[in-house]
Amino acid sequence: MIDHGPDHTQTRRGLLQAGAAGAALTPLMLAGAARAQAAMSANPNRILVVLELSGGNDGLNTVVPYGDDAYYRARPNIGIRKARLRTIDDHFGFNGGMVGFERLYKDGKLAIVHGCGYPDPSFSHFTSMAYWQTAAPNRGDALGWVGRLADAMAPTAPPNYLVNISAIQSLAVRAEKHVPIVFNNPDNFTREAFSEEKAALAQTPNHAAVANPAQQYLLDLAKSANQSSTLVRQAWSNYRSPIDYGLNDLGLRRVAAMINAQMPARLYYAAYANNAFDTHVTQGDLHGRLLTYTSDAVYGFMQDLERMGRANDVTVMIFSEFGRRVPENTSLGTDHGAANAMFVVGEKVKGGHYGQLPSLTELDAGDNLKFTTDFRRVYATMIEGWLGQPSAPAILKGQFERFAMFA
Amino acid sequence: MAKSGAASSDWQGDLSPISAAEWTPEFAAHLLARAGFSGTPADIARLAAMGPTQAVRSLVYFKPVDARTLPAFDESGIHDPGLEPFPESRPAATDLAKKTGQALGVRARPSGNRRLQPVADKFFYWLRASQLETNRVAYWWANRMLNSPAPLQEKMALFWHGHFASNEDKVRDYRKLLGQLRLYQTMGTGNFRDLTVAVARDPGMLSFLDAGKNVKGAPNENFAREIMELFTMGVGNYTERDVREGARAFTGWNYVDLKFVVNADQHDNGPKTFLGHTGNFDGIGIIDIIMQQPATSRYVSGKIYRFFARQDLDPALQAKLGDAFRQGRYEIKPLLELILRSRDFYSPASVGTRIQSPIQLAVSTYKKLGLDAVPGVPDFNGATGVLGQRLFAPPTVAGWPDGRSWITPGLLLERGNFARDVLFPDINFIPPDRYNFAADIRAVSNKIRDGADITTATAQPGDRVTAESNRAADRDEDFNTRYASYRGWQLAIQKVKPISRATAQIDLSGLVQAQGWRTTRQVVDGFIARFMWVAPGEDVRLRLTTFLDGQLGTTDIQAASSYMEEPLRMLLHLVMSQPEYQLD
Repeated sequence: MIDHGPDHTQTRRGLLQAGAAGAALTPLMLAGAARAQAAMSANPNRILVVLELSGGNDGLNTVVPYGDDAYYRARPNIGIRKARLRTIDDHFGFNGGMVGFERLYKDGKLAIVHGCGYPDPSFSHFTSMAYWQTAAPNRGDALGWVGRLADAMAPTAPPNYLVNISAIQSLAVRAEKHVPIVFNNPDNFTREAFSEEKAALAQTPNHAAVANPAQQYLLDLAKSANQSSTLVRQAWSNYRSPIDYGLNDLGLRRVAAMINAQMPARLYYAAYANNAFDTHVTQGDLHGRLLTYTSDAVYGFMQDLERMGRANDVTVMIFSEFGRRVPENTSLGTDHGAANAMFVVGEKVKGGHYGQLPSLTELDAGDNLKFTTDFRRVYATMIEGWLGQPSAPAILKGQFERFAMFA
Repeated sequence: MAKSGAASSDWQGDLSPISAAEWTPEFAAHLLARAGFSGTPADIARLAAMGPTQAVRSLVYFKPVDARTLPAFDESGIHDPGLEPFPESRPAATDLAKKTGQALGVRARPSGNRRLQPVADKFFYWLRASQLETNRVAYWWANRMLNSPAPLQEKMALFWHGHFASNEDKVRDYRKLLGQLRLYQTMGTGNFRDLTVAVARDPGMLSFLDAGKNVKGAPNENFAREIMELFTMGVGNYTERDVREGARAFTGWNYVDLKFVVNADQHDNGPKTFLGHTGNFDGIGIIDIIMQQPATSRYVSGKIYRFFARQDLDPALQAKLGDAFRQGRYEIKPLLELILRSRDFYSPASVGTRIQSPIQLAVSTYKKLGLDAVPGVPDFNGATGVLGQRLFAPPTVAGWPDGRSWITPGLLLERGNFARDVLFPDINFIPPDRYNFAADIRAVSNKIRDGADITTATAQPGDRVTAESNRAADRDEDFNTRYASYRGWQLAIQKVKPISRATAQIDLSGLVQAQGWRTTRQVVDGFIARFMWVAPGEDVRLRLTTFLDGQLGTTDIQAASSYMEEPLRMLLHLVMSQPEYQLD
């Protein structure tokens, strides 16, 4: 499954559509479920890392369909010539700085899922991101899908199970039962106190339930803070790695440190934050740089896992809240679009192309790619196929056929 | 302050005004916390004595503050006309210099190695200098929050800064952000329609939303979309077509340096159909149509309500607020008066239920301590930034997410650390506006001063560079980016005035004596009442009292009066580390 050209994708599509047609469980899916169960019992330590690229990454200039003339017709100025790409087959090439992605792809460890989106797409960063973070397009949800996943995987909510590398908590990790660990700088995740004060600070208030919900929330947090801070700080200070993650590690180095320390967390959420990929204007240099950093960080992370002997335990899923419109705008940039490519990276991932390629000429009324893959199918693939959780329909509030993506 | 209000829970949702008979000192304290940045017992007593009508009016209908009370921003003088128009990236600056022989008011050297170095240096100089100067603007503003006799003016400016959010990182010009802040200070309690028009013509906002790239024939939709989605109506009240048509109306809107301009030849004069209206609208026409929408008044008044009262807002109440706002022609002061006088605002659902924002936490802590200047240690911007809210740096155009998202387990600990940094300033504190914390910049500086040439000084350690981004940095021969980055910092630090690093002047012993508290338990109860909104449980009071007993060696305050300052500060640190301290 390593080197799939577009032709192969077309074959795949036939298969996938046949699978999707029947509402009842097909033998293929049942077999998949059995495998998922086996995976769960075989390896209870599998870890999922979700990496968010915020701002709407221009997928067409990330995995460039250089074999399709329509791409260059739509993007006469910002379309990237084949010579400047890192070609991976006779149709696609990665943006020139994405050396790490090219290597991962050629090593068969990187899956590209084409045409991911949802019906009636929102073009608002915040709305669309909330849809992706809650896995509830055009509806939203009070809890994030990663939070609901944690609740399903560990209903007793053991501490330190769900980690969000961020200055502020992402909606994606908001859970009913779990209090996610959220930190940006591990060195700051500590109670600074004089020796005389420590005893008084170590105890957490033993309140019965209080009437003020904000107060209750803070009391719960205080408990979680005490449990986690020492663990995180020690993990970080004990971590040493010679691996070069590039100019921006996107938090993945901190994830590696936690994994290195055998933290019990099974779900990590990191982000290229603050709308970084919102490239309306003169996007060429900037977008290339963002992708280079992303590719460097992911590649560094995979190398680091290998160094620690944990590569078999970790899969990374990468997404953005939407792609960009197919035609370029007149500011040498692109405006908010719809369907986009997602990436799944890991030692156990069967690399290659997944999903049906969206047409570059049959666009929707707003000049956008029509989505061909509901993004929740990729989530279901992570939940069932990777983590071995049978409860994807309950977590995602619907049936989504997963891809056979794991070896 | 920590009291349970006398309010009845059936005040919830009731917009009728609270009566003088129902008014209590606790409500006065609640009003001052929400409409301002809290205060000392004397500030609270003053408002309590006024009665509810006058107390609210004194805050809402404030007298303009003169420049003697609050001095204007003291400019460092870092800008020069050569910097305009500032190129959008370092490559754009050096490419321009390559083509024309100069950029940023600096000429390329006629010959020799690194001909374009001075241009690259100047580019980074301005990026760094603008950043440092923005930190000074933030200090200036924080001092106004602390000292203004009209705190609601600053509170509303803070609200608008989160609503019409721009950040320095993208705008890269402190002057535009200062101009935007002045707009929020002068028009922030005026008329919402006028404010929106002013924001749509504000160079800071035009720059932040790439409006200058929105031209006839090729509208860039960013600006129109955010105006509708985030500034006025909220998502779901317009179509994608409205976004496109709206963008056409704003075509040609641009800025030159600090002035708003309309480029007539880039403006689309054709008819547009927007929210059911057809005409040759310009941006102001679009804003006026937006103001007719009930969605606009509901969205904006609801957001103001959430900022002042509480997060959960009943749709029926929101509809009432929206109607009042629209019928009042979007005048902001009457809306504020309505909210701040309402029984709902004083109901148990509103009082003591809000998690303070980091800026509110910092400024109200200083207020309650009775300070008259924002301390230089800890650094205000660094401290509030770690807590998740740095002025002029909202994470996105959507501003800061409010409510519970202010706090995580880690940030709860950080809030306690902030209190300690105020009460026990670190003597090893290094001013971030004088010292460079980036290891690579420091390394370059050390090597240059040791006499190394630029190539040697800027070389990366040779091994282990496998990341493409680290490989690419040294490629161009016309200039050296790492050296330019170092020179930029150096020039900026030389030019930008330093921030005063005076520490907080705190005298807790004096406070305890003045209050006449005689026992350690009285001190604990007194601190909780003065500094906390929601009291912790009896177990915490007992633990704090035991702590103070242990530190003083006695329960008798008189006996300990000559040596109690440090133990009292530790006690206050413990109080401010309680989960309940985050509430107001």
